[in-house]
Amino acid sequence: MRITLAFAAVSLGIVLTAATVDAHHSFSATYDGNKPITLRGTIVKLGWQNPHAHIYVDVKNADGKVVTWEVESAGPATLMKQGLRKEDFVGAEVIIKGFLAKDGTPTVNASSFTLVEAKKEFVNDDKTP
Amino acid sequence: MTRVMIVLSVALALGGHAVSLAQARPDFSGTWRLNVGKSGPNVAGNTPNIPFPSQIVVKQTPTDISVESTSVRQQPIAAVYKLDGSKVTVQTPAGITETGEAKLDGANLLINSRRSFSSPAGDVVVEFKEVWSLTGNVLTIQKTRTQSGDSSTEKAVYDKL
Repeated sequence: MRITLAFAAVSLGIVLTAATVDAHHSFSATYDGNKPITLRGTIVKLGWQNPHAHIYVDVKNADGKVVTWEVESAGPATLMKQGLRKEDFVGAEVIIKGFLAKDGTPTVNASSFTLVEAKKEFVNDDKTP
Repeated sequence: MTRVMIVLSVALALGGHAVSLAQARPDFSGTWRLNVGKSGPNVAGNTPNIPFPSQIVVKQTPTDISVESTSVRQQPIAAVYKLDGSKVTVQTPAGITETGEAKLDGANLLINSRRSFSSPAGDVVVEFKEVWSLTGNVLTIQKTRTQSGDSSTEKAVYDKL
């Protein structure tokens, strides 16, 4: 029984560690540094979690079709240090500068984003290679 | 005596001309490694504001300059630019097209390029303007990225290997 419990605890630890590692992947593994992109849209959802905040933004294409983009940004602590609060995002129009995901999905890693109405730019200063 | 003076004057003039030519045509050849500590804060790491390669290999002749840029886990980008400023096609990873032109401007090298690729937001076009300058074994590149009407500039420093 003790061995079974110990095995279960170790397994859970491995799963949790793997999930954390997956969440804190390196930029170069997921994003294409050769494909910088600028997006303008409206924030529709916010994932305010560590190690990276995820912002979901509706962006209208040239043909009028709206695509929801997932924007990976700095963690909440980094953003809050720059004076940003979770409430600042709700329904805000935003300009994102970042890099396109390698897998071709509407996913981008933000190097900075600007809240248009507030005229405030926030920089992702998480420079971990 | 007068002849000697004339010969000396011509020799000095030619020598001076050669020196000024050498100064006007810097040689950027070499393997250059990005010096993160001496570069701007937004050129490297997880989310650079403007992408700078971590290493550049340059081969320069009187008429051409070959530039191969590599970055960690990124596909290399290479071009052989004509120094007369004519447009060339840049060798890029699949899915990216790029053209560019280069020319020497005094002690600086100017490279302008236009990159395009498709995205879920439609076709994306990015323009880069680079100004290269040499100080001994240090190469400084000032790069301006223009996209969707917005421009930003960063500066990176490279050490010669």
